[in-house]
Amino acid sequence: MNVVVCVKQVANPELQYRIRDDALDIVRDNLTFQVNGPDEYALEEAVRLREAHGGKVTAIAAGPERVTEVLRQAMAKGADEAIRVDLPDGREFDPSYTGQTLAQAIQALDVDLVLCGVQSDDYAHGATGPILASHLGIPHASVVTRVEVEDDRVRVNRELEGGLEERVTLPLPALLTIQFGINEPRFASVAAILKATRQSIQEVTAASAEGASRLTVRRMYIPEVTQQAEMLEGSVDEVARRLAAILREKGLVPEG
Amino acid sequence: MGILVVAEHRQGKIQDPTWEVLGKAGEVAVSAHTEVKAVLMGDAVSDLASELARYPVNEVLVVEDPRLKDYTPEGYGAALAALLEHEEAELVLTSHTATGYEFLPRVAADMDRPLVTAAMDVSLVDGLVVATRTGYNGKVAVEIAMEGGGPAFVTLRPATFTPPEPGPKRAPVTPVDVDLSALQIRREVQGYEKPESEDVDIAEADVVVTVGRGIKKKENIRLAEDLAAALGGVVGASRPIVDNGWLPRSRQVGSSGKTVAPKLYVACGVSGAMQHLTGMKGSQTIVAINIDPTAPIFSVAHYGAIGDLLEIIPSLLRELEKA
Repeated sequence: MNVVVCVKQVANPELQYRIRDDALDIVRDNLTFQVNGPDEYALEEAVRLREAHGGKVTAIAAGPERVTEVLRQAMAKGADEAIRVDLPDGREFDPSYTGQTLAQAIQALDVDLVLCGVQSDDYAHGATGPILASHLGIPHASVVTRVEVEDDRVRVNRELEGGLEERVTLPLPALLTIQFGINEPRFASVAAILKATRQSIQEVTAASAEGASRLTVRRMYIPEVTQQAEMLEGSVDEVARRLAAILREKGLVPEG
Repeated sequence: MGILVVAEHRQGKIQDPTWEVLGKAGEVAVSAHTEVKAVLMGDAVSDLASELARYPVNEVLVVEDPRLKDYTPEGYGAALAALLEHEEAELVLTSHTATGYEFLPRVAADMDRPLVTAAMDVSLVDGLVVATRTGYNGKVAVEIAMEGGGPAFVTLRPATFTPPEPGPKRAPVTPVDVDLSALQIRREVQGYEKPESEDVDIAEADVVVTVGRGIKKKENIRLAEDLAAALGGVVGASRPIVDNGWLPRSRQVGSSGKTVAPKLYVACGVSGAMQHLTGMKGSQTIVAINIDPTAPIFSVAHYGAIGDLLEIIPSLLRELEKA
């Protein structure tokens, strides 16, 4: 069972962002980065599949040199191998570009299952997995909350809206995008973290996906929050008093 | 040329986000002087086609095939690609749901056409599609030109556009014969399930006090429980709280959990991700307690209390106790 898990390094979603003067990109000085949340679940699922079925887990990330950090973290948490596909910053808005770049590296591998996070914490396209599956010519399922491999098939549950789940099976090789909360990702031990710093990371330079790109940023801007709320400000007790009064006026506080 | 809207349906019902997409498509078509056609793919779906025909569309195109009985990305992808050989379109729209963002990106990649997902706006001017979406956790908006058309594929963010009202007119329903002989569907659909729960049903409650990441520690949920008790309500949770295992999945509010519309909704430390807002914005009175005045929750809240909820809730409880 050879599992490839795609991990993305994203700019910290809690940062405050600024827009460049030409309004075509964010200001990239002083950004901090972290592993994409859903990818941690995808990695954990991949490692569990290997523990149950044997084989190996290959973590792959597309990005500049610094994404080796998330690959080392993936190895510390159980990935056997890691590949970095070179991808310059600045095309995060275009999942077609990323998908094509990742596909070039994955095509060369012997793969039974490709796992991706359901979406990314920065752009939340939800699209890189399906695009990658198209390039690899394999079936896929998105928003997966349960994975069971049986021989040459994988049974999965997909999460739909309103708490409904769909059960489907796919023949292997296949690609799944993994939903948050499917498992409890493990913590890396200090020994594993140290070991991962010594492991090698394969570097791949993909042919430019420039030709595949059909998207051009016209403008980036900070959206105005259309605030319709009546804001209660002041000391804690003032805010609480005002709020209690509003709830009472509206008859929303049970009597007695 | 025109705009195609791929209708999403499941278990014999058109899914609500489809109506919103029709609403937006109609708006774009008016300003671009073009037509909207609804696309319905399935097997024996004439009832659904008639329902779509009551909405403001120029035509309902129906692709029927036994292999399209259950939705699969491969089936929808092949049928839509084949349909596009007959129907020239500049823009193909569907909703950004677990189904929409599963199949549309794949079709766009198969056909090597431009794709933008989760758009909050889209326009069509002189044949050029421009889509706007957010990036960096909703903090940046990006306006993207989709070059090369033929067509551009876009999924639209749910709970963003207004669904149109059905009218007295009936749009023509046209069956389209497409060649699906080469279609191989590798995915098998086994069925649906709704995990049962014996927990309280937050969708039935008059008052929901929801906790989000701002609650910081599992122990602090007790504060929300006390507030819910004082207001005669129940405790709900945002997705991260459920993912942390702090509250059961049955308490999750949002498009991936439950949709609620109580008399009073109190969001405590909930930043307001789009999927959360979708599940609660119909509430009659919305109060948000949050330390970040720029949190998106304030775009739907009626009252906003800015501050540390670990201080505000105890103070509010004391106020509520006063007769």
